[in-house]
Parts: sequence; C-alpha cells; structure tokens
Amino acid sequence: MTDVLRIENLSAGYGPLGVLHSINLTVRAGERVGIIGLNGHGKSTLLKAIAGLTGWQSGSIKLNGTEIGGTRSQGPGRYTHKIVRMGLALMPQGDALFHGLTVADHLDSGAYTPRAWRERKQRRERVLAIFPPLEKLLGQPVGKLSGGERRMVSIGRGLMDDAKLLLIDEPSLGLAPKISKGLVEALMRIDIKDGAMVIAEQNLSLLEGKVTRLIGLHAGKLKGGAVAPDAALTPHAHHHH
Amino acid sequence: MDPYYLALTTITLASIYGLLALGISIIWSSLGMINMAQGFTFAVSGYGAWLVAQYISANGFVVVIGGVLTGALAGALIGGIAFIPLYDKPNFPLRSLIATLAISLMGGQCLLWIFSPRVKALPKIFGVGNIHIGPAVASYDKIGSIVCSAILLLLTLGWMKTSRRGLEIRAMMQNPEGAALVGVGLRSTAMSVMMVTGAMAGLASVLLSQNYFISPFAGTTPLVKGMVVALAGGLGSVAGALIAAVLIGFIEAVTAVGLGGQYVLITQFLFIIAVLLVRPRGIAGMIEHTRE
Repeated sequence: MTDVLRIENLSAGYGPLGVLHSINLTVRAGERVGIIGLNGHGKSTLLKAIAGLTGWQSGSIKLNGTEIGGTRSQGPGRYTHKIVRMGLALMPQGDALFHGLTVADHLDSGAYTPRAWRERKQRRERVLAIFPPLEKLLGQPVGKLSGGERRMVSIGRGLMDDAKLLLIDEPSLGLAPKISKGLVEALMRIDIKDGAMVIAEQNLSLLEGKVTRLIGLHAGKLKGGAVAPDAALTPHAHHHH
Repeated sequence: MDPYYLALTTITLASIYGLLALGISIIWSSLGMINMAQGFTFAVSGYGAWLVAQYISANGFVVVIGGVLTGALAGALIGGIAFIPLYDKPNFPLRSLIATLAISLMGGQCLLWIFSPRVKALPKIFGVGNIHIGPAVASYDKIGSIVCSAILLLLTLGWMKTSRRGLEIRAMMQNPEGAALVGVGLRSTAMSVMMVTGAMAGLASVLLSQNYFISPFAGTTPLVKGMVVALAGGLGSVAGALIAAVLIGFIEAVTAVGLGGQYVLITQFLFIIAVLLVRPRGIAGMIEHTRE
C-alpha cells in the first residue's frame, strides 16, 4: 500500500512569520484524515503548503511518491497548477470561486485533463449525484449562490478530475450547523477509491466517528496520530454502504 | 446631419475601438497588467501588413492575415518581456506598466529606425465604392471593417465561451488563485491571452489603416482611445467594453460631423470623466463581477 501523502519535516510561513514547525504526516490510500485545531494554529497553512501556496516553505512533501515540496522562498502559487495536475484538489477557505461564471462553468473548470474535459458532461452528472441541489443552479452565476451552495460548487469542482488527494479546508466555516453536517456526510459519501482525503476542521464533533483518523494541530505542530497505525488500514464503516 | 451616415460611422468606429479595448480589458483582468504597448502592437501590425502587401500579395485577405499574425507575434513578444519575468515579483502592476511603456517607446524608435519616418499606406483592401442599403449609402471599407471586426470578435468570444483554454482565461479573469487550483498554468494561459489580444489589435490596425497612414507612433491615439473605452466600460468586462465602444464611437461621429474633428478627443474625455464620476467601475461595474 503506497502513501498518497508523505510529509517530512515541513516548515512553512509568510514573510518573517513561521506558522508550521517541522511537521511529519503520512496519509495512506483509502484514508480520510481529520486535522483538528483552533483558528490560527496552521490548519489552512498546512493545506496551502501542500498546494505550494504559502509565502515560503521547506521540507519534503510527496504526493503518490513524487516530490512536490522542497525549499521555496518566494512565488506563492507558482507551481500550484502543476501540483494540481499531479492529482491534488484543494478546496480552500473562501472557496476561490469565479463569481461571474456559472455553476456549470465551475464544474467544467475542474476537468483539466483532456480526458476529463471530453467526459465533462458525464462527470458533471456524477457530481450532481453527490450534491443534488446544484442541478437547478447549473446556469446561475456563482456570485448569486448561498454560502452552502458555494461550498458544494467548490468541492464539486475538485471532484471533476481524478484527484488522488482531496484537501478540504473547514467545510463548516460560515455555514449553519445543519448544512455543515449535510456537507460532511456528502464528503463521506465520495468514493475516494485508492486516493485519500484530508479535512481541516475546527469543530471536532463534526468529524468525530466519521473519519479514519483525527490529528490535532496546535501552534504549528501535529499532536498524535500523525503516522497511520496499521489499524487505520481497516476501512472505516463509512466506506461501505 | 444624415442619421444613416452617423449610425454607420458609429458602428465602424465602435468595432475598431472595440477590438483594441477588449484586448486591453482582457489583459488587465486576466493578467493584472495594463498593457501600454498595445499601441506598439497596433503600429507594428500596420507595418507587418504593409510588408505583406509589398512583398507577398496585395490581396485583401492576405494583407489582413499578415496584420493579424504580426499582432499576435507582437503580443507574444510583449508577454515574454513584460509578463513572464515579472509576474511573481512584488509590485507587479507598476513594474509591468513601466515595462510595457518602455516596450512601446523602444518599439516605436525601432520602427522609426527600420522603416524611416516616412508614412506608408496600405492598399484599399476592400476596394473603392459604395453600396446602397435602402436609403443609406455605405462605402466598401466601412462595411468591410464592420464585417471583419464582427467575425474576429465572434470567433474570439465563441472560443472563450466553448473551449477549455477560453474557460481558463475567463477563470483567470475572475480569480487567478482559484484558476491555479484547477490546474491553469499562468504562463501558458498568459501567452495565449497576449497572442489573441495582439491579433485583435493587428486587425484593428489594418482596418484603421484604410483611412489613416501607417507611421511608427500611429498606435498612440488608438491606444488612448482603446484605454478610454476599456475604462469607461469597466476594465475586465467584455459586455461593458462593447457598450462603451458604441458610445465612444457615437460621440466621435457626432462630434466630427457637428463640431469638427479637432474636438473629438475633448468630448470623448469629458464623457469618460463623467462616466467615472458616476460609475467608478465603469458601465459594466454593476452588471458583471470583474477584477477589483
């Protein structure tokens, strides 16, 4: 069993500010990992570092065995599109949507490989099966949608290509409790096959009992569970229906 | 004042300014760069078309293609010099503004050096004559300008609407970080933006050269007018640029007929100042989301 994500000795930050301090984390195929921490302790920075979006970073990040990390002191986002094309999908805080484009355009934009682009209609159907409320909204500009609907678009966009690693930053942020619960359930329904999912979340109760592993993130350091125990290889009940 | 003549002149000018303004607008919103060298692209395309007419063929279609291709190449050159090395450096908008201004000035001097200050004229690619459409009389070059601009605009907008690359450009116009997150490479997308908008400026140059001479700094006035249209329309908005192009074209036509050609720049600038006072984000600031 290969590691979908293997982080060794990762430090990252912005300008003079260090946010992450020597982080080690391994995520195996089939795992859904929850990173739990308070605001300002580095959850978003961890996910951004994997996508190459921090101000600076050092240390090794391997996506399916390929190095995507290394030391970088400037040019945030310079390699992000290449990392994405290697099989990463990040749904960031604030969703990074294109406000004037329609929901259909958003979903299509996630289909970056020629094959996914050809199959974009079928793939859209697949996403709509996970997020049925989007069906009626396909022709609407995203700027007009509610917060919950936008989150669905952002996640749906990340599901259009064959991403191996899904990173979701605070699915509950700014949403009513009932809506965030429904969203997390939808995340658990996504068939990740031989890929993996990492969810950063402030609200422990939202993920407890649903994900394969929970890891704490405090002051830029991971607490416990950062290396998958063998037990984690047993698929969680939620992987079967 | 003949209303048909006015309407036809308005549409002719609108289509030419629309080509330039749309280019400036798309570059601004997708690359975050104000391209002061669009006027250089305009001038060099005129010379490209002239060289084609001199040495290859004076056939109208070939001359237009020559201008359009020269424009695309000039766009790629500007992208390679002013965007690729600078875009991830601090203060990029200011740096690129200065870089494109420098390209524009140096490019103009180079054209002066290579082609001498003597102006050149393109052959009348649409022929000389008039068509009568009902009560209106339209000269061939006006009809030709409108048809050519409409074809290129429709092709470009259709391409942006339906192709993956077009979707990437539209995504980048709205949110560059979001675009990177769906695998859009900034550099290659930027180069295609520069080539497409360069081609638009190239066509505008060939069309305008039916009535004006080609000279090394011929692009200055069209650049200023393109900027005016792009600003009045709301930088980054396709619909806004097209509406503004019609309004600016109308003002030019009315001023030229009613007051005289020397007042055109004055009325146009009064108009844009009025628009920006009332609507700081331009005509389309309200109807579309654009880069802020």
